[in-house]
Amino acid sequence: MLRFLLRRVGLALVTLWLLSVIVFLASHALPGDVGRRILGPFADPRSVAALDHALGVDRPLPVQYASWVGDLLRGDLGSSLSFHVPVAQLLGRGVVNSLKLGMVAFVMVVPLGVLGGILAALRRGGLTDRVITIAGLSATIVPEFVSSIVLILVFSVALKALPISAQVPPDADPLTQIYHLILPALPLVLVLFGYIARITRSGVVEALDADYTRTAVLKGLSWGAVVVRHVLRNALMPTIAVVATQLGYLIGGLVVIEVMFNYQGLGQLLYTSAQQKDFPLLQAGVMTVGAVYLTATLLADIGYSFVNPRIRLGGAE
Amino acid sequence: MDRNPRRRLDAIRSGCTELENNAIDEMLSGKVSRREFVRAGTVLGLSLPTLSAILAACSSATSTNTGTSQTVKKGGRITIGHQTPSGAMDPLLTADVGRLTILGLAGEYLAFSDKDLKLRPVLAESWSPNADGSAWTFKIRQGVKFNDGTPMTADDVVATFNRLADPGLKGNNALSNFAGVLSKGNVTRVDSTTVKFQLDGPNGNFPYLVSSDNYNAIILPASYSGNWDRTFIGTGPWKMKSYSVNESVSFDRSPTYWDSANVPPLDGIDIKFYADEQPAILAFQAGSLNMLSSFSVRTGQALLTDPNTTVLDIPTSSHRQVHMRTDQPPFDNKLVRQALAIAIDRQAVIAGLWNGRAQVANDHPIFKMFPSSDPSVAQRAQDVARARSLMAQAGRSAGFSVTLYTEKVGEIPDLAALVQAAGKAIGITIDLNVTDSATYYDKYWLSSPLGITDYGHRGVPNTFLQAPLLGDPKQGTWNAAHFNDPAYDALFQQYVRAVDVSAQRTVTGKIEQLLLDQTPLIIPYNYDWLTALKKNIAGVETTGMGHLNLRKTGLTG
Repeated sequence: MLRFLLRRVGLALVTLWLLSVIVFLASHALPGDVGRRILGPFADPRSVAALDHALGVDRPLPVQYASWVGDLLRGDLGSSLSFHVPVAQLLGRGVVNSLKLGMVAFVMVVPLGVLGGILAALRRGGLTDRVITIAGLSATIVPEFVSSIVLILVFSVALKALPISAQVPPDADPLTQIYHLILPALPLVLVLFGYIARITRSGVVEALDADYTRTAVLKGLSWGAVVVRHVLRNALMPTIAVVATQLGYLIGGLVVIEVMFNYQGLGQLLYTSAQQKDFPLLQAGVMTVGAVYLTATLLADIGYSFVNPRIRLGGAE
Repeated sequence: MDRNPRRRLDAIRSGCTELENNAIDEMLSGKVSRREFVRAGTVLGLSLPTLSAILAACSSATSTNTGTSQTVKKGGRITIGHQTPSGAMDPLLTADVGRLTILGLAGEYLAFSDKDLKLRPVLAESWSPNADGSAWTFKIRQGVKFNDGTPMTADDVVATFNRLADPGLKGNNALSNFAGVLSKGNVTRVDSTTVKFQLDGPNGNFPYLVSSDNYNAIILPASYSGNWDRTFIGTGPWKMKSYSVNESVSFDRSPTYWDSANVPPLDGIDIKFYADEQPAILAFQAGSLNMLSSFSVRTGQALLTDPNTTVLDIPTSSHRQVHMRTDQPPFDNKLVRQALAIAIDRQAVIAGLWNGRAQVANDHPIFKMFPSSDPSVAQRAQDVARARSLMAQAGRSAGFSVTLYTEKVGEIPDLAALVQAAGKAIGITIDLNVTDSATYYDKYWLSSPLGITDYGHRGVPNTFLQAPLLGDPKQGTWNAAHFNDPAYDALFQQYVRAVDVSAQRTVTGKIEQLLLDQTPLIIPYNYDWLTALKKNIAGVETTGMGHLNLRKTGLTG
């Protein structure tokens, strides 16, 4: 088990290192010059060159990369080029905000998706199955900016039932915060519901057809006990994996939702930092999202290995 | 005019300078309208009471009131949706609406340039030029305090402007106004209430450069050394309560505000920043914002017809310039440039892209809204047949292909498509290369054969006439058309030196004719600044620059 864990952590670190190289190179491939971005389009080219030199962005790429990774390892994320404040300060707020929104969406969509999937599988081929599968799939392919606008128009502008802005004053109580996050979480529920329900459904269908289920039924267990003890325990494993991979998206990938609901999460932060060529912010932000992804999948792997000993034992051979 | 007003006028005139008397003569002779006289008078430093007295003596009534007549109640706060600032809040670095509006709430300028381009004294009580307009003297208001309680003095004014004229400061945006006009160290304290600006040369429009038009120029303490966003120090009516980068800023009414006659009725204002226009418009429609500081016709079409919204619509000199490189084929022949210019149907462009909220322009930046513009110069109109014959005269009847480079900003990509269509009608095949702004400015702006660039509002056309059109690369820093015409450069110098409107106008007529003939730029329109208010607030004053004057703003219901 220890070796399995070590190997997983080691792989995660290698992935993070690769990510750091890609992020670094990709952000330097972005068009535009840092000094120009800070000083504005009308600045004298000499001042732009002088600022580039002062910032060190005119050094060779390997030198810049080494100094960046060195700072990163020391926990120094640098200072935002656009806003002249420590990156950690902006990133900290973004992570907290994204976690809040991600959690609200997670709490709404996971039980809904799993229940929907189970229901569809149990009513396989029936009307309920078709409604859940088709509606879920259709909702998944609607882009978030479309569903966001429709939801805002219906729930905020017309019905005035839910607040449009996800941002609440920092001293607001947790219930107010959750209330403000319901509307922004809804488009995510629409995107993820169909996906989670479909995976759950196929897992349950497979388990229902399995020999052990037939055995359990034949040995005289009640249908409820069969589903809970035998079907779900086996059927939900793919769902756990899928949900874990979606965590990264929920925390770092909500650019459109965050822009539409004017919410200062990681997604919006990455978006503006890319636009402004704010390298320290952009790179630290992407690394954070990467770390969140890897932690989520690592935890899922570990959880998975507990549910399914074959993985754990296979790793220990 | 009866004898009494004449005597009154003579009495006023005896106290006026030569330039001021000249302005009065121009109005009396009908060379400038009363409205233009008021504007010119404010530039020369005539106070509003003096201007009113002169107009009254000329048996005229004029109103300089820009507020609304609706009564507002005391107290309350309003929430405003506003464009996200594109960088650190710093008066020196500010170059965008996101930031300049905030500067103008916490801080104040020597003068305020209003929507009619008139200058209103704020931290300066009055000003006057020397005989040729090469030195300007400002009387500084006394009894003004910064929002940290310290008094504002003439020394603060001197330090502020010497800082803004310093080319050695990193990212100093005010140089776009002061380079070649005002040098560091040439702002001096005459006495405790007087500050003198010794310019690099005569400049008739100089007061605009120390007004809200030069948005970097809020007066800061002499001891200021950076980090404005920690204090939001200034003399304005609003004191920062809280600020969260990219998210919001809240202001309370400043307890130390000097203008006791104009203490704002509101207790405070909360500004929420929006990185994108669509969510801001939706939030305004949903009622979570009382006001949208600005919106575009493209995205905010619904607000224009919404019965629950008041739209403030101000004509501005904001515009787009289609540049054609005059130093290399195919646009080195002016006939080709003229042909493309007259192939465009400006009225249709304005109706289609702006829903009528823009004014037709005439391929030069001296827009009709500027008093110095010459109304006798004919407006260019679409004439495809003539455009084809110009192409033939230029030996280009077979047409040619060219790439138009531009940026994805507002309606510009649509304008690019319309220019493409106009080109097609006369045999020019135009390929479009639309990129983000950063790439455009970095890679294509000054090197592209054909391109479209956005230009923000200015209260006087000086910058528009200088940076994109002068042949000298030190002054013509934004000359994307690579236009180089000694006759134009000479006319420009004459224009800058001209202190009064009628002298400016004799030159501007020639400049307009020259630019029409040479056509280095196609300027199809200048567009309006739109602000949306809910019906429950009133007393908002906006400017084409994007300033918000909320001193008289309040809730009505």
